[in-house]
Amino acid sequence: MSDDPSEPEVKRGAFAKKKGEVILREHEYDGIQEFDQKLPNWWLFTFYIAIVWFVAYWVIYYHTDAYRTDSQKITEMMETIQTEKKAALAEALASLTDKALIEEWATDPAKVSAGETTYMQTCTACHGTGLDAKMGDIPLSGRPLNDGEWHYGKAPTEIFKMINNGTPEGGAGYNGVPMIAKGGGMLTTQQVAELTAFLIAKNPDDFAGATFDDQGMLIE
Amino acid sequence: MSTPATQTATIQYEDKTVRQFMFFSVLWGLVGMLVGVICATQLSWWQMNGKFLEALTFGAVQADGISYLTFGRLRPLHTNAVIFAFVGNMMFAGIYYSTQRLCKTRTASDLLSKIHMWGWQLIIVSAAVSLPAGLTRGKEYAELIWPINIAVALIWVVFAINFFWTLAKRNEPSIYVALWFYIATIVTVAMLYIVNHLSLPTSLTHSYPIFGGLQDALVQWWYGHNAVAFFLTTPILGIMYYYLPKAANRPVYSYRLSIIHFWSLVFIYIWAGPHHLLNTSLPRWLQMLGMLFSLMLWAPSWGGMLNGLLTLRGAWNKLRTDPVIKFFAAGVTFYGMATFEGPLLSIRAVNQLSHYTDWTIGHVHSGALGWNGFMAAGMFYWLAPRLWKTKLWSTALANMHFWIGLVGILLYVAAMWTAGVMQGLMLGEVAEGGTTLKYDFVETLKAIQPQYILRSLGGTLFLVGFVLCAVNLWKTARSGQPHDEEVEVAVPVKAHDSMTLKETLINDPVAYCILGCFTLCLWFFLPPHANIAALVVTVLLAIKAVHGFKTRGTKWIDWHERLLHNYLPFTLLVFIAVAIGGAVQIIPSLIVNREENVEGRLQELYTPLELAGRDIYVSEGCYNCHSQMIRMLKPDVMRYSRQGETDDFSHLGESLFDHPFQWGSKRTGPDLAREGGDIVDGAKYMRSGMRDNVWHYNHFMNPRQTSEGSNMPAYPWLFEQKTDLKALPKKIAVQQKLGVPYPAMNQHDIIGKAEFQAREIADDLAAKKVLQPAGLEMGEEEFAGYLADRKVVALIAYMQKLGTYRIQEKDGPPEGQPLDPDSYRELTEKTEALRKGETAQATE
Repeated sequence: MSDDPSEPEVKRGAFAKKKGEVILREHEYDGIQEFDQKLPNWWLFTFYIAIVWFVAYWVIYYHTDAYRTDSQKITEMMETIQTEKKAALAEALASLTDKALIEEWATDPAKVSAGETTYMQTCTACHGTGLDAKMGDIPLSGRPLNDGEWHYGKAPTEIFKMINNGTPEGGAGYNGVPMIAKGGGMLTTQQVAELTAFLIAKNPDDFAGATFDDQGMLIE
Repeated sequence: MSTPATQTATIQYEDKTVRQFMFFSVLWGLVGMLVGVICATQLSWWQMNGKFLEALTFGAVQADGISYLTFGRLRPLHTNAVIFAFVGNMMFAGIYYSTQRLCKTRTASDLLSKIHMWGWQLIIVSAAVSLPAGLTRGKEYAELIWPINIAVALIWVVFAINFFWTLAKRNEPSIYVALWFYIATIVTVAMLYIVNHLSLPTSLTHSYPIFGGLQDALVQWWYGHNAVAFFLTTPILGIMYYYLPKAANRPVYSYRLSIIHFWSLVFIYIWAGPHHLLNTSLPRWLQMLGMLFSLMLWAPSWGGMLNGLLTLRGAWNKLRTDPVIKFFAAGVTFYGMATFEGPLLSIRAVNQLSHYTDWTIGHVHSGALGWNGFMAAGMFYWLAPRLWKTKLWSTALANMHFWIGLVGILLYVAAMWTAGVMQGLMLGEVAEGGTTLKYDFVETLKAIQPQYILRSLGGTLFLVGFVLCAVNLWKTARSGQPHDEEVEVAVPVKAHDSMTLKETLINDPVAYCILGCFTLCLWFFLPPHANIAALVVTVLLAIKAVHGFKTRGTKWIDWHERLLHNYLPFTLLVFIAVAIGGAVQIIPSLIVNREENVEGRLQELYTPLELAGRDIYVSEGCYNCHSQMIRMLKPDVMRYSRQGETDDFSHLGESLFDHPFQWGSKRTGPDLAREGGDIVDGAKYMRSGMRDNVWHYNHFMNPRQTSEGSNMPAYPWLFEQKTDLKALPKKIAVQQKLGVPYPAMNQHDIIGKAEFQAREIADDLAAKKVLQPAGLEMGEEEFAGYLADRKVVALIAYMQKLGTYRIQEKDGPPEGQPLDPDSYRELTEKTEALRKGETAQATE
């Protein structure tokens, strides 16, 4: 490879260096030549800034209290969420009565169908798509929800609590398998209420002619 | 620096090995990419895990899934084939060809070349057999079982001897920048590979890595990230420095840029590994180093890109006519893009969103397809006419390859970006009220199906392009004759390779670097106040070094020029540069993060059956899609932690005894860290967690029955194959040797316990009348006996154990732990008041 005649400014080695021009190094490797261009300034500054940032970030984190640790941050965030959840649940429970769930929620097609959607996503693995806790002939691990039996109480607010809180603490559960709480992390209070409405609507006989006390609670 | 030549010699280059490596690179490239395309389709259609054979064979094969073809086993095959077989062989072809020319000598030993070439192919074949068979170490890109590891190490040594021997015999006193990168590759890959593959065998095909838990994670990603750096990047940069100026017929842009970016790249790259573990339970100081060094890596990486692209100045017109330049220009551009994206993804805040999603997959493929795939194609098109003394069979076909490939890459990468960002956002989206999540995991998976299909299409296009390349190269080879070039070279008077150890190590540049690294470490690790002093010293040293360079810079430059005439001193300094980062990160962690220092959660040990189940989990490659790591992030904790707890993210002690660790790197399915639970009332070992045994049983038989829309393969063979309980005593003995605090148990205890627990689970399943595998109609008792032996029961036992721990209490106020920056930080912040209170009491 010889010098490209179209670039007369290309000078070799020491001569170019003296003139302050772009240097083409004298040595060739298997015909490969090398310029010795200055490092681009923007490139150098990218590098410098990254190095300065390294020092600055470490200093800020380890030598000042400006940042909290990850575990402090996440624990605080989750505590806030827990508090909000508890408040939301208390508020919902205060306004939810058996009467409201049976006469308003379970008769509202929009709520029942929202409940059905949630049921199909969350509950079918154990309780089956037909609420019979079966898939075809194979028994699944949950209780049937269409046999007229309400193990943890028939009152809709009890059903709500069961879904929301899961098998009561210390309870062995059906077949020795406790149900995981569905309220809170997985479902909102609204969704649990819709789910309850769906179950009521699917078992009309169980709730037909229900009578309520002054607080709107089921009289069994 | 020119050296007087006294005589000349005629030599013939040995190019047969180059032709063979090139042939195998193309062959394995085709295989690896095809497996990749199959894997991609498996994520869209679960039937691609074996069920599709029913249609292909008109019903002769009947299966919901074939073990050898499941994603969990094929994905390692894909990554290993593409990295080690395709890029590996390509790199060897490129190195063998260029090293001879840059050293003006024939490769030192034809025999070693032959052993290297055939040995490597044998390793690839054994990998292609063992991985689909489920034989794996369970660590990404380090899956191959220990006998193959030894073979890899031996062949690598053969390669190293052959290469350095050639350097020793060189007739070119000064070593060119391409060779610097080859040297860095050989030295560093050897170091990484050996350390990450240290394991104790339990049988001829199985072993446990000697590191466990977070240390295994740290070592794994120190290796994993630098496999990208020193297997997929540095050798290809070396290849770029030889072939690109050759093809463009232009001088390299900047020699001093080569020096600066080479040394900064090899030094900094090594530290970046922990960026694969951001926001996990890896100690914060390691995460900080991983992130900050990744950011500092941006400029050195772009130095390589600049030297590649700017070398093309004055040759851009060749883009129109020469496919080689087309591929090189695009390849280097993709390198620049990927090395910008890398530091971006290493920022903890960005990584929150991107990690565990397809964004990462898109990132690696812009490197693998764009940089490696296109650099390989460019090099092949340049080499083939020279190796067979002919001209390229069809330039038009090569151009077509370029455009099809380019469209393929862009489709692929764009699909993965959108899939990753979209799924990441959906997973973190909260429902109205802000206290619950909006989407189920499976909903987010369904949402990215269109992108998954586009990705398969992009990958297929790239493969089609590569087929065109194979045809073109084949036709080119057939149109010529194998040709080994003969040249006359000047034999210099030997003045090179004379640098002493003292000259190598005792000089200003080396002294400043070593001292600087030392004070930097003091800054990281010294107790409060002393660390600030160390920082001040580091900064002063840096200022002095800059001043020294300004005043005596020519001396430094002369020393480096002289270093380039001495290959062994150069190699030694490269080794020191690459060894520092790993040592500073891994050794303190090995000393600090031990059982006795863990406060709070400490993992419950696996029972023998659970351990057997864990080995099945590893062998089936479940870690390819499932993580076991709840990061300290709101979306992770909300989705995966136990209800009602506020600090139920994964703690460091929870996986301390896991050999290998199973934190995972991608969530195609949900995290499993909290699947397990307590021992069931009345049972001795049987546990039940988030879901009961029946759920898991049904899920392994048909995942879509329990999770509608799931793309997980069915695992029918787990219901047929028996658990290897006999291997357990040896396995537990090895675990004890590795430091897992198992109590003394004899063979009888171990197998007895495993059988008892298996029967508990089997009885439970049989009593609940679970569906029997196809073709079985047994009574309850008989079926329980059948199930107890099967792999599915062991795997269920493991699932029900996940995330169980006990609490290890620590007395007294927290103390600063030497080598643990985080403990000092806590000390200053939280316990200052406590300590003061105690001293006050003591004085009373």
